[in-house]
Amino acid sequence: MHFDVERTTVAGRPALTVRGELDLATSPQLAEAAEALLSAGPAGIVVDLTPTVFLDSSGARTLIAVARKAAAAGAELHVVAPRSNRPVRLPIDLLELGAVVPIVNSAGEVPSPAVNRDAT
Amino acid sequence: MTSPAAGPAPTVDDEALARCADEPIAVPGAVQPHGVLLAVREPDLAVVVASGNAADLFGGPVAGRGLDELLDPADAGRLRAGLAGDLAELNPLRVRVRAAGGEVDLVVHRADGLLVTEWEPVRGAEEAGIAWHRRLPTVLQRLAASATLDELSAVLARDVRALTGFDRVMVYRFDPEWNGEVIAEDRRADLEPFLGLWFPAGDIPAQARALYETNWMRLIPDAGYRPVPLEPATVGRRPLDLSGAMLRSVSPVHLEYLANMGVRASMSISLVDRGKLWGLIACHHYAGPHRPSYTDRTAAEFLGRTASLLLPTKVVAGDQGGVVEVAQRQAELAAVVGRTPRGLAAALTDGEVTALGLVPAAGVAVRLGGQLHLAGTTPPAERVGPLVRDLLAAGVRATDAVSRVLPAAADLAATASGVLVAEVAGGRGDYLAWFRPETLREITWGGNPYTSKTAQTDAGPRLSPRRSFDAWSETVRERSQPWLDHEVAAARSLAALLTETAANRATEDNRLATALQRTLLLEQLPEVPGVDLAARYLPSADDVVGGDWYDLVPLPGGRVSVVLGDVAGHGLAAAAITAQLRHALRAHLLRAAGPAAALDGLNEVIGALLPGELATAVVAELDPATGEVVIANAGHLPVLHATAGATEYLHEGRGPALGLLDAAGYREIRLTLAGDDRLLLVSDGLVERGRGGLSAGLDDLRAAVAGGPVTPQALADAVLAALDPPRTDDVTLLALART
Repeated sequence: MHFDVERTTVAGRPALTVRGELDLATSPQLAEAAEALLSAGPAGIVVDLTPTVFLDSSGARTLIAVARKAAAAGAELHVVAPRSNRPVRLPIDLLELGAVVPIVNSAGEVPSPAVNRDAT
Repeated sequence: MTSPAAGPAPTVDDEALARCADEPIAVPGAVQPHGVLLAVREPDLAVVVASGNAADLFGGPVAGRGLDELLDPADAGRLRAGLAGDLAELNPLRVRVRAAGGEVDLVVHRADGLLVTEWEPVRGAEEAGIAWHRRLPTVLQRLAASATLDELSAVLARDVRALTGFDRVMVYRFDPEWNGEVIAEDRRADLEPFLGLWFPAGDIPAQARALYETNWMRLIPDAGYRPVPLEPATVGRRPLDLSGAMLRSVSPVHLEYLANMGVRASMSISLVDRGKLWGLIACHHYAGPHRPSYTDRTAAEFLGRTASLLLPTKVVAGDQGGVVEVAQRQAELAAVVGRTPRGLAAALTDGEVTALGLVPAAGVAVRLGGQLHLAGTTPPAERVGPLVRDLLAAGVRATDAVSRVLPAAADLAATASGVLVAEVAGGRGDYLAWFRPETLREITWGGNPYTSKTAQTDAGPRLSPRRSFDAWSETVRERSQPWLDHEVAAARSLAALLTETAANRATEDNRLATALQRTLLLEQLPEVPGVDLAARYLPSADDVVGGDWYDLVPLPGGRVSVVLGDVAGHGLAAAAITAQLRHALRAHLLRAAGPAAALDGLNEVIGALLPGELATAVVAELDPATGEVVIANAGHLPVLHATAGATEYLHEGRGPALGLLDAAGYREIRLTLAGDDRLLLVSDGLVERGRGGLSAGLDDLRAAVAGGPVTPQALADAVLAALDPPRTDDVTLLALART
């Protein structure tokens, strides 16, 4: 099955859109892409799992790692995992990933970046 | 010869063939009449043997006379000077013979202890002239620049014809059975083309071919000539050896053959590849007798020798077509082997890069670890093993004609006329085999090669060349494209890689399996009074060690903890973590007050000792005496509770996966197992990869348990059969009931 991590923008924030199965074989790609994204020092990033069709414990572990790296980098993370996407949302809920990974139900729930008042 | 299985039986008379093979072509005792042969003694150069036409050239008998006498003093001096050095540099010596009234090309060589001198009058010979010789460097450059064998042959045919003026010049290539194929041709426009025709091996008998390897040039200026006998007929007791003589009279059979083709004059130049006769430049003239000058013939022979030197690279280039592609596939397959720890045979037949792509073939069989996998078009599976075994027993590893080795396999010709086998060592009878289908090859013979070969003469049947020269075609059956050397080598090297890999993996597998058994799984479930427990563990097909573990921990007071856990990740690293977690949880279960506290303890262990790791676990603590069950769940799939009336997942008493939070604060759910109630604990490998994903898998599991047998052993088997999980992950299932 095809897998890719695409650099996109969600709610004005730099984002990674994950397509295909996020598992032991593919999750290193997400980890790598997230690291690259965080290295630019963004205020926040989004991982969009809307088009992801499968998530296993390795994928979950990668999300946790991304959350920890984002926190360390001072970047706000949002993971979009719609409730309607059962194959992805169910393991997230079973593992209670929400305890460490900010999970939102849709891209609309990701707040727009705070306006930098000094620049206006 | 390429005798077709479906062709007519050869009707050549064996006796006549044997007679032809015996024909003394090197010592015919006669020469052709376009020159004179004198064999002289050294050093006085007195004539010992002379051809019968010598008197005509020299104006009188020559027997007993010396060459000093027959030549001008100046020419005689040049001859004697040349005899002291390399004779090849002397030839030809253009001399004046007074009686002949003109110039003669004198060519000498030594044979039978004599100096054989051949005298060919210049008059009557065709000269290409100086213009052509000036072009020689260009011609040589063209030969050298030709990239392919076809190009080289075409240049050769064209330039030899331009040089010698023959009506037709062909380049023949011999096949392994000595049939000749015309691979290039330059001809008078009105002549019927022979390009692509095949000439049967019998057209050039073996002793002629042997002669052609040493004597590169033959000329018959007039095929209708009358042979001129040598006098005396023998030197000592034997006829003079004429194998090196340009005037050597040829076999009457050959002359008859030429006459049948309407050829009046013929010349041939050998093409020799690394010491072995490879082909011929064959020149035919039809209009009448034709005799290129000695100089032009020498130039033509020079082109033949130059082409011969160029042959190895061109032939190799032709035979090695695809060598780069094959090498690339070889590398890709090696990578596949390297990254495929399990199920190699399947990977080599089903993956993106398969063994089928290694060499051009229609099908492949990969037998590894005793398992046969087929890809592409192959014989039926049940025939592949015996076919390969019989070929190996016959000592054949590559053939383009299986039915010749194994007549019983002729019915497989459509899929396996050609088979290439490479054995994978290791004593398991493993192998790789590639199959090529029958290639119906149309061969157009220059005349029917099987008939009209013998003619009745007074002396009994004698070989007579084919009367009819009409093209006669046949279809070669039960033959495939031949296997090239580099293809065979690539097959063997893949087999060798698999041999090595299999040996390494066997060792590694044993080690891992032992570790797995020792640390993760229970060799035998302990007997716990009042508890009936069934456990099933299926390792993943891809990876010998997954992250699942289960445990049964008897506690003080008769209670028992049943544990099922799963560490994220695979491989040895996951196995090591799994082992640590299993032992840590055991310790906490024995010490702690209940499952939730034990999981809290385990969570602290991960946070402190294994940061970044993620695991899930569920613990069910059962008191067999009362049926009371306490369950705590750390991010694991919910426990399934089946009663006589309902089968439901227990969504209470859950908490986050182990390793997520520093302090998880797990909760518990309590229930009582009554009568036939059962609990099922499963790992995600059972349910997450089915069609419809995890949630459908959980639904299927519930349905299977609701409709399944009551006893844990039967239930576990029924659930595995019903869900039939793909073996991409390891699968663990625990079924629990009271007795």
